[in-house]
Amino acid sequence: MAEQRETVFHTNRNKDFLRGEFDYSHVERWYRMRGKRLNYLGLPAWEMLDIISWEKFLERFTTIEREENQQHLMFLQANVQDVEHRLYSLYGKFDQILLTGRDQYGRRPEWPYDVVNLDYFGGFLYSDLSRPKAIKKLISNQVDFQRSFILIITQHLRDGDVIGAKAAFLDDLRRSLKSSVLESGTRDAIDQIIDWYGASDTPDSMRQALYMNMFLRDTGEAEHFDVECRPGMIYSGTGNASMIHFVTDFRFRPGVGHKTASKQSLLELVDLGTLEVRDGAFVKRTLRPPRLSSGND
Amino acid sequence: MNPPTSPSAREQEELVYAPAVLILSQDLYPRKLEIVREYIQNASDAIDAFAAVSDIIKDHSEAVIKVSVQGRSLLIFDNGIGMDGDEVSKLRRIAYSEKKAGQEAGYKGIGRLAGIAVAEKLKISSTCYGDPELHHFEFRAQDMRQEISENQRRGIREPATIVINRHTSLWSTPIDRKDHYTIVEVRGISESCPELLDGKALKEYIGDIGPVDFSPEFTWGVRLSQRLRQDVPDYSPKTIYLSMPSGDRVKVFKPYTDAMMVAEPEYIEVLDPANPNNTLALCWFATKGQQVLDRIRPAGKIFSVEGDDSRDKKRFAGLVYKLFGFSIGDRYLPVRTLWGQSFPRALWFTGEIHIIDKDVVPTTDRSDFVETDSRKRLYKAAERVPAKLNKLAQEISNNRKAYEDGDRFKQKLETWRERLRSGKIEKAELKSIRGELHESLSRLRQRAAKCTDLDVQQFDKEVQKYAATLQKELDEAKSSNGDTSIADVAADLNMTAKAKKVFQIVMDILADHFADDPDAYYEISAKISKALRKKY
Repeated sequence: MAEQRETVFHTNRNKDFLRGEFDYSHVERWYRMRGKRLNYLGLPAWEMLDIISWEKFLERFTTIEREENQQHLMFLQANVQDVEHRLYSLYGKFDQILLTGRDQYGRRPEWPYDVVNLDYFGGFLYSDLSRPKAIKKLISNQVDFQRSFILIITQHLRDGDVIGAKAAFLDDLRRSLKSSVLESGTRDAIDQIIDWYGASDTPDSMRQALYMNMFLRDTGEAEHFDVECRPGMIYSGTGNASMIHFVTDFRFRPGVGHKTASKQSLLELVDLGTLEVRDGAFVKRTLRPPRLSSGND
Repeated sequence: MNPPTSPSAREQEELVYAPAVLILSQDLYPRKLEIVREYIQNASDAIDAFAAVSDIIKDHSEAVIKVSVQGRSLLIFDNGIGMDGDEVSKLRRIAYSEKKAGQEAGYKGIGRLAGIAVAEKLKISSTCYGDPELHHFEFRAQDMRQEISENQRRGIREPATIVINRHTSLWSTPIDRKDHYTIVEVRGISESCPELLDGKALKEYIGDIGPVDFSPEFTWGVRLSQRLRQDVPDYSPKTIYLSMPSGDRVKVFKPYTDAMMVAEPEYIEVLDPANPNNTLALCWFATKGQQVLDRIRPAGKIFSVEGDDSRDKKRFAGLVYKLFGFSIGDRYLPVRTLWGQSFPRALWFTGEIHIIDKDVVPTTDRSDFVETDSRKRLYKAAERVPAKLNKLAQEISNNRKAYEDGDRFKQKLETWRERLRSGKIEKAELKSIRGELHESLSRLRQRAAKCTDLDVQQFDKEVQKYAATLQKELDEAKSSNGDTSIADVAADLNMTAKAKKVFQIVMDILADHFADDPDAYYEISAKISKALRKKY
C-alpha cells in the first residue's frame, strides 16, 4: 500500500544512519541470536521510523505516546504501513507508565521485551529523577522474566542536572575505580581521568556518555545482567539539537549471587569514550579523553 | 428566537438547538454496535468511489477496510477515495451529505459523527489522491455533552452550529500526494459500551451486517457467493480486516460456518409482478442441518448456533434484508413485513434477501425501508418467500418425522431381533410385541406417504421390510419351526393350566397398563421371568 511513497517525515541523515545502519545491525544481531522475531517497546514518534526500519525483525510493538494527536497519527501510520495488528500503543508518559505499571487507560505493557528503544524528548536527568527510576524499573521488570534485551537510548545532551548528579557520580566512580586497582600508577591515572571528566572545559557530552554507561552498567549488574556498553554516539539531530545515542546489551546471567560482574571491565567501559556521527557517517573525533587501559583505539 | 419569515438555508440550520445534536446521535443507535456499521458503510462507499477512478490514476492497491482497537479507541481505516479539506470541514455540519440515494449505501451524513454518542472524542484524518495535505477533524464530544447539560440547567439555549464549532477543530498537515485514505478514531469509548472494544463481538457483528463475503471454509460459501455475484448487480464484498487483541489479524467473513450445520442453501427470486423480467430481490435461505443418512439434511427446527443463552443461540435465526451488502433492520424485519403470523416457521431458516431494486431506500437509522411505492411493491412481491418457506417447513417437518419414526422403529426392531435370537422374548410378551409392531408399521407407512425426500422414503421402505421379516421370524419362533425360539417361563416351570392362565392374565394386564410405555412393560416382564425362574 505504501509503495513509492514520498517521505514527509521529520528526520535527518545522522539519525537515519544510526537507526537504519548502526541500530539496525544490532537489532538484526539480536534477532539472529534469539532465532525468532523480537518484541519491541519504545517511544517512537508517530512516524514509527524505527519500527518500520526493523519491522522484519520484530513481532509485536508496544509504543508509548503521551500526545493524543501524535498517537492518532501513529494509528494512521500503522494502518498505512499495514502493521496495525502488531501495534500495542499505550497512552501516557513513559516514566509514569513504567513506575505505575499502567497507562492512562489502565493497560499494562506486555512484558518482557527484546528490544527497547527510548528516543527521549529532552535529556535524561531532571530534578525528580523519574527517567533513571523508570529505567531501573524497566530493567527490574525484565529480570522478572529473566529476559535478555538490547536497550537503545537517545537523549538530548542538554539536561536538567540541577542536583549535580553527574559530579557526585564522578566522585563515586573515582572511588570505585581506585578500589579495583592496587598499582599506584594506575590510581594516579584514574585521578587524572576523573579530573579531566570533571573539568569545566570538558564537553558535557563526555561526562554524559560516561555517566549513562555507568548508570546502565550498575543498574543492570544489580539485576543480574551482564551489561555490554558501547561508546555514546553524538550527533546533531533535528533542529540542530545536540543528541547522544547509546546501544547497550543486557544479558541475563542466571545463578549468580548478589550482583553480576560484566565481561566488559570497568576500565574498558571508562575507555569507551564517544563517537561522533556527522553527515550520516561516523567521523573521527578530535577531542578524546585520556585512556586507562592499554591497547589500540 | 422567532423564525424569520423566509429563512435561508443557513438560518434554518441555526434553528437546531445544541441538545438536539445529542438526542439525534444517541437515539439513532440504541444498539451501540450500529455505530460501527456507520463507519464501515462510509468506508465501503469510499472504496467504491475510489474503484471508479483507480484505473485513471493507475493505482491498483488492494482496497481494504481495517478495524482495530487500541486502548479505549476503536479505529476504522480505509484506503478509499478519502476526503479533501472542503469535505472534512463539512463534518461540522450535522446531517450534511452529498451521497445520492441508489448509488451508495449511506444516507443523510449523520453516520460520520456516529461515535460522538459513546466517546470522549471523535478524530477523523483523511486525504485524497493528489491532495498534498492530510486533513484532521476533532470533535470533543464529552466536553460538548457536559457543556450542553450545564447550559440546559442554566436555561441557556445556543444554536447547534455555534456549540459544534466551539467543540470541534480542523487543521491540516503535509502528506504524500499519492496517499488516499481515511481513519476514524472513536476515542475514549464509554465503559458502558464494552462491545465496541470487544474483538469477538466486532468480528461477528461486522460479518453479520457488513458487505463481506462468505468464508471459503464454509461448505456452501463459494456457491452462494457465485450466485450472488451473478444475480445481484451491487454485490461487491469488501475486504475487511480486524485486528484482534492477541495481535492476530483476521479477515472478516459472513458468520456462517460448517460448525453451524447449515443444510444446503436454496434460492427464491422475487420478481416484479408487473414485469417478471425485473428481479426485485434475490433470497437465499438454508435451514439448520443434521446428519441424516450420510448427508446434512434440514433438521426442521429453529436455526440455532453456539451461544450464551437461548436468545443468543437464535441470533442468526430468520432472514435479513441486504442492500449494497449491508443489513437493513434485523432478522425480525422480514418476519414482521412478510410473515405477519405463524412466524416460528420463519425462524427455522437463516439467509438473506438481497434487494436489487434501487428505488427501495432505507430509513436514516437503517432499521427499515422508507415507505414508498417501491417498498410496497417489494413487500408484495416478496410474499412468495414466506409462502414457499412455510410450505417447505411443512415438508421438512414431514420428512424429519418420516426419518425419525423410521429410525426409532428400526432401533426397536433391532432390539426385538436381538432378544429373539438370544431367546429372551417371553411367550407372554408376544401379544404386546405384535401389537406394537403393527401400530408402528402402520404409522410409518403414513409418515412415508407424506415424505418427499427420496432417500428417507427408501430408508422407511427398508425399515418396513425389516419389520415384515421380523414378524415372520416371530411367527416361526412361536411355532418352533425356525432357528430361534420363544421363551416360555410357564412351561419351563411346569405351571398347571390354571396357573398358566393366571400368569397370562397378569401379563396382559401389565401390557395394557404399560401400553404407552412398552419398554417399561418389557423391562418388568423380564424381571418377573427372571424372578420366577430363580425362585422355582
